[in-house]
Amino acid sequence: MKKNRGWDLTLSLYILVTIFIVAGCSSIDCPLNNRVYAKYKLAGNIKTLADSLTLSANLGDGNDSVIINKSVNTDSFQLPMSYQRNEDVFFMEIKNATSAQFDTIKVTKTNTPHFEAVDCNPAIFHVVTGVTYTKNRIDTIVINNPNVTYDATKSTFLIHFKNSSSN
Amino acid sequence: MLQRVHSSYISRIAAVISVIMLTFLTANAQQGRKKVVMTVTPDTIPLFRGIAVSTDLVGPAQLAFGSYGQYQAAMRVNLKDKWFPIIELGIGKANAEDVTTKLTYKSTAPYGRIGMDWNLSKNKHDIYRVYGGFRYGYTSFKYDVNSPGIVDPIWGDKTDFNAKDVSCTYHWLEAVFTIDAKIFGPVRMGWSMRYKRRLFHTHGDIGEAWYVPGYGKSGNSRLGGEFNITFEL
Repeated sequence: MKKNRGWDLTLSLYILVTIFIVAGCSSIDCPLNNRVYAKYKLAGNIKTLADSLTLSANLGDGNDSVIINKSVNTDSFQLPMSYQRNEDVFFMEIKNATSAQFDTIKVTKTNTPHFEAVDCNPAIFHVVTGVTYTKNRIDTIVINNPNVTYDATKSTFLIHFKNSSSN
Repeated sequence: MLQRVHSSYISRIAAVISVIMLTFLTANAQQGRKKVVMTVTPDTIPLFRGIAVSTDLVGPAQLAFGSYGQYQAAMRVNLKDKWFPIIELGIGKANAEDVTTKLTYKSTAPYGRIGMDWNLSKNKHDIYRVYGGFRYGYTSFKYDVNSPGIVDPIWGDKTDFNAKDVSCTYHWLEAVFTIDAKIFGPVRMGWSMRYKRRLFHTHGDIGEAWYVPGYGKSGNSRLGGEFNITFEL
């Protein structure tokens, strides 16, 4: 009887130690997608842009930073948002064999710091409050989901392009 | 005819011998066994069997060797060696810093749990006990996050990333499995394993708490453990 009890306690101790070792393993719970980008999805008649698309951000100091360079057959694209500015300005160039067209997109937004964990890089989330644009090649831009977070599955904007010949 | 009578006698003698042998063997076998008398004695012990106070050693060890942990004391009532209503109170602390992200996280707050353990042992009055039970936990706390700031990789702006006194509340349930044993006199020691599930929570705009007093890290890990020293009063 005593032998059985001792065996039971030893077994219980082994099980507990195993569980604690497994539970005690250090883990990092950062999200797999840790980029905060606004997603623009092509909608309307032109769902894939055959022409070459170049997008650059206006840094506000007289310089631009190219974000997307000569992308072809584009059906969607992602653009970053500034951490603390209220408005971001992007220059768009759509080029084909014969011509180039330029548009400007201005996005206004709020910026909120986001903390996930001590071992995850800090991030800034945004809420889009408005969008204005020139209409050389762009027809309309609609805000589809104003929240810009780690979630890249939902499109922030639906962008409608005109046909290159219609301009 | 004579042959038939003979065979009848032989069969009768054989039957008598086999009955005698069977009786003899059965008697021998019964002599080898002890007589077991099953008597059901009513459990006459009183309902109130005493109070025990305990403290956990894992939480202070976590604080000593890691960046978070807790100090905890508990009071347990023993009812008939079967039911053990319990209340656990503690203070959870976190002071974490990550060299990669350069973030620091600080929080200190009390927490409480209330619940019940059931003695699962076959012999309820044994010095060894195996318990199963549950706890409901609650804490209301604030946390601070500090960093030297983050630099925008495109626009180059430096942005402050600090938050002070972010208010949170947390409600959770724990399934508990415990073993303990009497060591000497009123002292008992034992392990307790916890499986936790968050019920409700609130947090500030900056995000969820990284460490919740009494619950632990608020990520995916739902298992926890305690090593308790108990004094029976």
